[in-house]
Amino acid sequence: MGTRILTVEDDERIRTAVRLALEDEGWSVAEAENGEDALAIFAQAPTDVVLIDIMLPDIDGFEVCRAIRRSSDVPIVMVTARDDTHDVVAGLEAGADDYLTKPFAPKELSARIRALLRRARAADPTSPHLRFGDLEIIPDQGVVRREGAEVHLTKTEFKLLVELASSPGKVFSRETLLDKVWGYDYFADGRLVDVHVRRLRTKVETDAANPRHVVTVRGLGYKLQP
Amino acid sequence: MTDSAAYVGGQPATLTRRRWGRIRTPRLGLRARITLAFTLSATLLSALLALTTWGLTRESIINQRESSATTQAFRNAGIVRPYLLPDVDDETLRSTLGSLESDSAARALVRDEQGLWTNQTTEFDEKAVPRDLLRMVEDGTPARMRVTVNGQPQLLVGVPLSSVGGLYFEFVSLKDTQNALESLSASLFGATFVTTLAGAALGWWASRRTLRPLADVSSAAEAIAGGRLDTRLGAIEDPDLGVLVGSFNHMVEVLEQRIDRDGRFASDVSHELRSPLMTLSASIEVLASRRDDMPDASAQAAVDLMVADVARFKQLVEDLLEISRFDAGAARLEESDIRPGELIHQSVAWSQSPEVPIEIDPELENVVIRADKRRLVRVVANLLDNARKYGGGPTRIEVRREPASLTIAVEDNGPGVPEDERDLIFDRFSRGAGSSRRAGSEGVGLGLSLVVEHVALHRGRVWVESLPDDQEGARFVVQLPIDWDAVAPEEEDHHHDLLDDHHPDDHPEEEVP
Repeated sequence: MGTRILTVEDDERIRTAVRLALEDEGWSVAEAENGEDALAIFAQAPTDVVLIDIMLPDIDGFEVCRAIRRSSDVPIVMVTARDDTHDVVAGLEAGADDYLTKPFAPKELSARIRALLRRARAADPTSPHLRFGDLEIIPDQGVVRREGAEVHLTKTEFKLLVELASSPGKVFSRETLLDKVWGYDYFADGRLVDVHVRRLRTKVETDAANPRHVVTVRGLGYKLQP
Repeated sequence: MTDSAAYVGGQPATLTRRRWGRIRTPRLGLRARITLAFTLSATLLSALLALTTWGLTRESIINQRESSATTQAFRNAGIVRPYLLPDVDDETLRSTLGSLESDSAARALVRDEQGLWTNQTTEFDEKAVPRDLLRMVEDGTPARMRVTVNGQPQLLVGVPLSSVGGLYFEFVSLKDTQNALESLSASLFGATFVTTLAGAALGWWASRRTLRPLADVSSAAEAIAGGRLDTRLGAIEDPDLGVLVGSFNHMVEVLEQRIDRDGRFASDVSHELRSPLMTLSASIEVLASRRDDMPDASAQAAVDLMVADVARFKQLVEDLLEISRFDAGAARLEESDIRPGELIHQSVAWSQSPEVPIEIDPELENVVIRADKRRLVRVVANLLDNARKYGGGPTRIEVRREPASLTIAVEDNGPGVPEDERDLIFDRFSRGAGSSRRAGSEGVGLGLSLVVEHVALHRGRVWVESLPDDQEGARFVVQLPIDWDAVAPEEEDHHHDLLDDHHPDDHPEEEVP
């Protein structure tokens, strides 16, 4: 079975047009017009990418995103009404891997989806086990343990951690991380990295406010403390 | 930089409007005029009062002095009369005059029947008696006159002594009277002067008190002009000024509502446009992917047109949304640490322009500035796209460190911008005289006016100038104020990482709970 994408959007015309465009890419598309339907459809069939508009008639997009995140690390793209920090960051905090602002070009959406799919499948089996204090990373199994207990990371968070762990102590700029983890050249913004680093910290750090592993290098970016 | 460059942004471009056909002469300010009026009134009133006082007092003092002198002269004349009889010798007369003089502080002078003058004090002799007075007294009429003897003012009273055929004259010194009058006039003058000063001070104070509410109005108006539309004047108890405050606040209220409504309208329209635009954008892509399968060349051309114009439409709606956020005052800087070089590379990638030669000041290589990256990327990208649309493509980007700023210049070798249009091209949908040439087929759009807004939000300026050395082309310059002292060079040692983490990310306000 091919790649299946779930689009959650209350405007029927937009939904149809997006479906047509995504089907042109060779993907199969499931549609939901509200949050409840979306969760029901998501529960029924395996889905590779979810596209959620945050403006929904019943439960809002953030809530749908959180609900999906509770059971799955499926790549999620949020569609925000405006490019303002509040919506973008709220969407990413809710667990989205990426966001788009309406009106977006379907080509851009396909590019993001392809990048997310690559990430979802990428697991380099040759990478060695890595250990940083209480943190243990096993790239080939996609497993991260803190103090021996497995930590559940989304694909993007995992890729981010592995990327930083590939050169411990090296400073990665936001641009580099966007390129390596998200697979974008320049058109994404640093907030993606910032929010994901924060989410990652809440999972891999004992005290997310005083991170010991994933640290900020002011003016430069982030690095993994060896 | 040329002097003729037109500055936009940062400082709002103010146009001085002059009234036609009327040459304005410099006028005094209201405060100066109030003070002047107070001063003049005080001077006038006190001078009038002083003059009246002076006139009346002087009259009364002089009258009193003259009448007492006259009375005394008549009395003394009576005393002297018997000594003028022919049988009295000169010596007795002289001693009588002497005793009179010492009693009444007057100088006496007599003439007997034979016309012989006798006096006690040398200066007060017949030569001091004016001819007119002498004639009147000789005619038997008592008379008095003010004379000056040895530079001293004297009242000369002449009394005819008809019974003995003699004349009696008495000089009474007016020195004291004059002194009294002089000191009176001095004090009156002093009083006038003091009153004038007091008037001026009062005027200054009163005008300040009167104008203080106006100063409040002025600063409120400044604040409103600066975008703080919620500014209102505080209540004033004074009923006269209360009206002004009331109508001022009402005006601002109406203005705010109106601006709000206009801003919301643009924003609402753009939001409403987004959904159909989204559908259009997705549908046209589906059509475009089948373009080459279309047998009909006109259908293909139609698809091409739609693809291009939907993209343009999309850009326009995005720009409208962006600018309506500025109009609503909702635009906020989201500052982060930026490396200038990185910024320029991202801008080039963001724009639709191909690779452009970039010259960056080597001093900027290891520098991180605080700015809103998203906005600056759009600023530079918009300038690049502008150069592509109207200037035949950007030819060079130059980034320089200035003493207190960072300048980014985008150059092209197009026709340039005539001086009289250098302000206009930054206007929204500007339609200058050369707009037909500039507009081309892609429309004028909002790109440059957004550049102005983004740059102004950074307190910077943007302008367009000619290329140096009379080269054909335009040079758009963005100047961002930077306090280089506060800019730390890129950190080379990372010992402070943990510390930095306490105030790290670009958006501290959205810290995860």
